[in-house]
Amino acid sequence: MTQEEEIIIIPGRWDLPFRHTAGRVASHFFHALKEKRILALRCPRCQRVLIPPRPFCERCFVTLDEWVEVGQQGTLEAFTVCYARFTGLPDPPYCLILVKPDGADTALNHLLGEVELRDVERMKEAVSIGMRLEAVWRDEREGGIQDIKYFRPLA
Amino acid sequence: MPRRVAIVAAGLTPTSSHRTDVTYPELVYEAVSAALEQAGLQASDIDAVAYGSMDPFDGVFAPERWNVEACAGAGAARRPLMKITTGGTTGGSTALAGYYHVASGLFDVVLAVASQRVGETLEAQLVLNTAVDPIYERWLGAGAITIAALQGVRHFWRYGTTEEDLALIAVKNYENARRNPNAHLMRMLTVKDALNTRLVSWPLRLSDCCPSSDGAVAVIFASEERARAIADRPAWVIGAGQITDNYWMGDRTWYEHWDSLSMLAHRVYRQAKIEDPLAELDVAELYNAFSIQEIIEYEALGFSDKGKGAELIRNGVTTMAGQLPVNPSGGVLCTNPIGASGLIRVAEAALQVMDKAGERQVPDVRKALAHAWGAVIGFHTLMVLSRGAP
Amino acid sequence: MSARVAIVGIGQTALRASADDRLYHEHDYEAAKLALADAALDRGDVDTVICSGWDAVDGRTISDMHTVMSAGGYLKDSTHVGEDGIMAIAYAYMRIAAGLFDVALVTAHGHAESSFETVSNVVFDPLFVRSLGQSHLVSLALQANAYLQRHGVSGEQAAKVAVKNRGNGAANPRAHLQSPVDVDEVLTSALVCYPLRDLHCPPQSVGGVSLILASEDVARRITNRPVWLTGIHWAIDSYELGSKELSRLDSLAGAAERAYGMAGISDPLRDLDVAELHDITPFHELMAYEALGLAPEGAGARLVEEGVTGAGGDLPVNPSGGVLCTNPYGASGLLRAAEAALQLRGEAGERQVPGAARALAHGMSAPSGAAARTDCVLILEGG
Repeated sequence: MTQEEEIIIIPGRWDLPFRHTAGRVASHFFHALKEKRILALRCPRCQRVLIPPRPFCERCFVTLDEWVEVGQQGTLEAFTVCYARFTGLPDPPYCLILVKPDGADTALNHLLGEVELRDVERMKEAVSIGMRLEAVWRDEREGGIQDIKYFRPLA
Repeated sequence: MPRRVAIVAAGLTPTSSHRTDVTYPELVYEAVSAALEQAGLQASDIDAVAYGSMDPFDGVFAPERWNVEACAGAGAARRPLMKITTGGTTGGSTALAGYYHVASGLFDVVLAVASQRVGETLEAQLVLNTAVDPIYERWLGAGAITIAALQGVRHFWRYGTTEEDLALIAVKNYENARRNPNAHLMRMLTVKDALNTRLVSWPLRLSDCCPSSDGAVAVIFASEERARAIADRPAWVIGAGQITDNYWMGDRTWYEHWDSLSMLAHRVYRQAKIEDPLAELDVAELYNAFSIQEIIEYEALGFSDKGKGAELIRNGVTTMAGQLPVNPSGGVLCTNPIGASGLIRVAEAALQVMDKAGERQVPDVRKALAHAWGAVIGFHTLMVLSRGAP
Repeated sequence: MSARVAIVGIGQTALRASADDRLYHEHDYEAAKLALADAALDRGDVDTVICSGWDAVDGRTISDMHTVMSAGGYLKDSTHVGEDGIMAIAYAYMRIAAGLFDVALVTAHGHAESSFETVSNVVFDPLFVRSLGQSHLVSLALQANAYLQRHGVSGEQAAKVAVKNRGNGAANPRAHLQSPVDVDEVLTSALVCYPLRDLHCPPQSVGGVSLILASEDVARRITNRPVWLTGIHWAIDSYELGSKELSRLDSLAGAAERAYGMAGISDPLRDLDVAELHDITPFHELMAYEALGLAPEGAGARLVEEGVTGAGGDLPVNPSGGVLCTNPYGASGLLRAAEAALQLRGEAGERQVPGAARALAHGMSAPSGAAARTDCVLILEGG
């Protein structure tokens, strides 16, 4: 091989189809979202109210079946605002949050909407840990986590 | 009494955003050859291989299959090889696997290899997004950067850590990397430069984020008898372990504390008979993929009290001239072939103990700590290496 | 061999065609619960959890974030092998033999969220092979054909292995496929990838398998029917299909040789009472006989024709029905160990080999089929 010989780059793509079952627990949660209800599961042993709901409590190692409805309002636990563009990910700026719905012991991943994000200084004024938020629903709901469009600050 | 095990050699490769000069097996061969050469061994002297990588980044599912000959050598058939994969801790888990292979008594000389070719992926964050649960969370575009940013927001809020503190961490690592021939990013960075770089995900700027790198690393573990024959100064494993938290990041919104790492440190320090890590460790290689994480790691590992991690960098304690140099290699912040990075930490810690760390050598190292984290900060690995056998 | 490690708990969920009501890692949870119940232990008694599987198959990068917590690994010193679950046994064995852990739980799952064969294409290197349409099954077919051609083994001879295993599966309530087949049906089933026909190929089964291993002292406190691992070894074959003798399973031969040595086995046909091996295809079962030293090279078919490896023969092989009847990809190897352990505990039901005291369990971990396949051999003894 001489100095000038071109290195060949071979494009690749993983085009792998999947069919991810939501299982009975997440499916029940999603059906309830269609009705604008946010559900969680309570562990009979540690009594934690868990969202997103999962089939068992990994600490107590027991199956969960006690459904409880949690609030449409909640507290902002953590957030970030993504300003960079990444192939295949949402267009920036978007604000990824962890919100703890009232009545739950854990937080839900979602987005924060109706807030000024582009200007960093104004964003820092507008968004803070501990803020109270409420869920905003899509008009057309299909039974998925995005039936909640985003959370917005409580007036 | 568990069998004594030591690291007797480590081999690293040059890293970059895309090592177009080598195919995957060639890259792995570079690391393995370097380790064998340092140990004065042949491929046929290796009894077993533990191989780690995070598959999706390389665009090759199970790359250890393609790379068999590169690590097991000609005559690969009939040689034991086991694949370990645990997210960002893969390199650390692979080191642990190598250790247990020898500690079990089944094997005397074991090669731990880890590799990653993030350069063959067009968008690493997209791949990381596939780690996020498709049922509840993937649609959010969460990836490693946004998750680390959540940690930054929390630490700032609770403890008043500042963007300047993050810049100090970045500057220290960049400076160290300039003395590491295998580092990916080797450039000048001042605090002012850092604060002027592009904001990626509040509060993290480009200088607070690791690069995407191609690289491989190989570390040789040996039983006591073989170790003493192979190396003048083996690096003895005196503490080792890993811990797994659950997946759900919303279960532990206190991102500014890495409780599971503290728990693991407690277990491993007890094995290593370490009571005051700041005083008793001579060097630490920590998995600082993002600058804020190095501060959180100081706290979780007990180098400082909770919330006081930033003081260590402000006071120069963790610089090369300080009491406990952290990441003389430049860390993950300057070089990140993800699945390999955890094993690179072990290799760097071992080279420090073996007195083979070249220009980045810390004087008179007796005890070194290597750490890795992975998953949604749910996984951690630790290994303590010592000049003296346990 | 100084370390004594035993299997003290066995868990197998139902293994069938689909289970959409469960997430793939729920199978690890259910199997772990079953194994714990079998051993009369709870999560707190476990020191370390080793899970298994492949991200690309699960469709989730870092899939073990889910499987480890589902298997009971929360806040434990737990880890994951990117292999079939049989290799999780190997790793657990080492952790216990090192004297650093006493009780280990291992799990594996099989699911239908992806087609294993489709995914397997991307194991192959993108430079020379992937675009040609190579896959797990295609490479195994290449190998089966090499074996056929080299030794003049007939389609009928190979079909008899399928008949044997499907017949065994019909008597095993735990099997996925529980209906027998005859030679004609096998030979007239649709051609999938020459010479493999539909009835030569395993199904894709859904469910979970789990085992609990313990160190000697602890094992004796947990159960009065420990199954001892007296021999263990594994080996990987080379990746380049064009650089080796395809008709032989060299990695299996290498693994078996060392495992036999550890267990003091010199004549496997005589010394073993039962074997559960990874019959990924009937041709591979014949090749495995030879690699395991049960028959000379090329002569594996004789063992089936003479009934030696049938139910009631000198060395029944795959009395459970084998992989041909039940194939949770990624858990099939672990399942061999579970079935062999059941035999040694006298709990194998209708296909129990009477008085079985020593078993061989062989699992294959091979997302790339014939290329760089890993074989793990365990010798188990009832105690």
